[in-house]
Amino acid sequence: MRPLSPRAAADRPQELPTPAAPASWPLGKPATTPPRTAAPVLWAAVHLPGLEAAEKLVQLASSCQRFTPRVSLVPPDGLLLEVQGSLHLFAGVAGLAAALTDECRRVAVPPVIAFAPLPLAALTTARAGKPLVITSLAQLTGQLAPLPLSALRWPAETLERLARVGVRTIGAVLRLPRAGFARRFGAAQLAVLDALTGRARQVHANFRPPERFRRRRELDYELTDHERLLAALVPLFAALGEFLTARQCGVLQLECRLWHRQAAPTDCVLNLAAPCGQAQHLAALFGEHLKARPLPEAVRACELRAAALVPHVPGSRSLWQAAEHGGDVGEETCGLIELLRARLGAGTVHGLAVRDEHRPESAWALTGPPVAGAPRGAARSAAVAAARRPLWILPAPQPLTVQDGWPQRHGPLRLTSEPERIETGWWDGGEIARDYYVAIDRHGVRLWVFRERAAPHGWFLHGVFG
Amino acid sequence: MAGGDTQLARLLEHPAIWRGRSAAQRTGLSTGFAALDEHLPGRGWPRSGLIEILVARFGSGELALLLPALAALSRAQCARWCVWVAPPLVPFAPALVAHGMVLEQVAVVRGARPLWAFEQALRSGACDAALAWTRQPQPREVRRLQLAAERGRTLGVLFRPRRFMREPSAARMRLALEPRDAGLRITLLKGPGTRRGALEIPWPL
Repeated sequence: MRPLSPRAAADRPQELPTPAAPASWPLGKPATTPPRTAAPVLWAAVHLPGLEAAEKLVQLASSCQRFTPRVSLVPPDGLLLEVQGSLHLFAGVAGLAAALTDECRRVAVPPVIAFAPLPLAALTTARAGKPLVITSLAQLTGQLAPLPLSALRWPAETLERLARVGVRTIGAVLRLPRAGFARRFGAAQLAVLDALTGRARQVHANFRPPERFRRRRELDYELTDHERLLAALVPLFAALGEFLTARQCGVLQLECRLWHRQAAPTDCVLNLAAPCGQAQHLAALFGEHLKARPLPEAVRACELRAAALVPHVPGSRSLWQAAEHGGDVGEETCGLIELLRARLGAGTVHGLAVRDEHRPESAWALTGPPVAGAPRGAARSAAVAAARRPLWILPAPQPLTVQDGWPQRHGPLRLTSEPERIETGWWDGGEIARDYYVAIDRHGVRLWVFRERAAPHGWFLHGVFG
Repeated sequence: MAGGDTQLARLLEHPAIWRGRSAAQRTGLSTGFAALDEHLPGRGWPRSGLIEILVARFGSGELALLLPALAALSRAQCARWCVWVAPPLVPFAPALVAHGMVLEQVAVVRGARPLWAFEQALRSGACDAALAWTRQPQPREVRRLQLAAERGRTLGVLFRPRRFMREPSAARMRLALEPRDAGLRITLLKGPGTRRGALEIPWPL
């Protein structure tokens, strides 16, 4: 029997005796140069014994993206991470293993983590329950040899047949002749051995995290209380926070659907003034939003959905307090706007703008909520006539009662100014012809009133000098 | 003993401590009216805390009295916001600009809970000033507003009907306004280290 030697190249006919082939697998040193990549690689295998939920594995893969972008799923209970480039960020293998263990404990179950230069070798070591760190290819086969064959996850029948011929460890199976092994136990198993020792490259598809966030939670019992409902939503918001952090993204819109027993589901939509990636902030805003919403029935399930993601790099917080010594006010401002909009409704906060228009009712406009850090103070004041204008304006002129040809409001009004004529506007159908006066009522309140020049010469109240 | 004095002096500089008349030494925010500045403690509006302005009727000149200070705040280098909570009418933007107000700093908030919104604006630290026209805040709520304004370092202005003049209030300063033929009569009802009294500012403000 010819030994299963890595020196026998794949393209060489397997039956021919190779003069240079050693009599047995040389344990402890590599028999040949395995395929090398340009840069050294180190794979970390995470084995999660007893993990059942597939979504936990995906969740863990998402959160493990903070260690390396090259994360692969090995269902049902394993993850592979290529970590060579990240080692220096975590103070070496020990630091990385500790951080990875913490992450796994938080998300799922305590892991077994093994490191090896080849992915399958790392995975097999971890599955055997041995948290080994194999950094060089030279030690690889030596370290793998004592591991039980069950770590390879071959079919039970294959393992049984191997056990009958006295092969119980990986070292023993590597010593078997290749051709005979392939014939008896199948080419697939030989391919596994090749991948284990580096004769063949094994390609793992990188884990691509989902692009949209959507998570549902069935509640254990129906909830009517807002506070408890918010507490039940906390895990969803925590998951959303991780999701956003891993992508360095924020959201501008967040949807939450609450299912009831009979009533139609309640949809809560939260609109944000600026992209936000902080779970606590989002949860707090959503709490305000929810408090303002009456629920028709008890809630049985809830689902959190994030609309399109917006790239968002969380800024560093200022050392100074807002607006003090040059501290930035952007964050507080956005926070206030969002808080008010979440509680009172999206259309309740707005800004003011001036329009180039001589007719008072068209000279102002409501805008969306002001944006923090927007360019300010464009010199519009020049456009505004120096003429006296009231600080308050009525949305529409309000007719005044007239007695003896004199306007009345809580008694007769006293006109104290010369008339100011404002007219025309034929180009958009809003033609006006008015004489404006400053009037004082019985209580000393100064009003801006006008008299229409057209027939029936009605008097109207249009503003209040405040 | 000199060391002890300097320590005491440093302690008294703490912003949370104010002592009767000495608090009046702090520089306030100029009202824009020299006569009123002279009359007010700190030679102007306080920079943080709640002011109550009591008027018999809406539009008695209360906004015109405040506007020069608000405009100065909005033109400052790192100005924060000026939030108007539940104003009874629409602030006329061209007039605000004509008074020197930077409109980008102005936000108008309407909605079902004006007192809550006012407290949030005061507390947030995002506003230089917040104005509110609310119906009848309870004394306890006024106290909350005053604390929120101190915390957010915001000048809060609460406009209330004149009939609440006799009611105790936790606001830092209280003024009653009365339009007269010649001008606006201002009565200072309460303020840190204040001499009581009234003055009249001639029209137009």
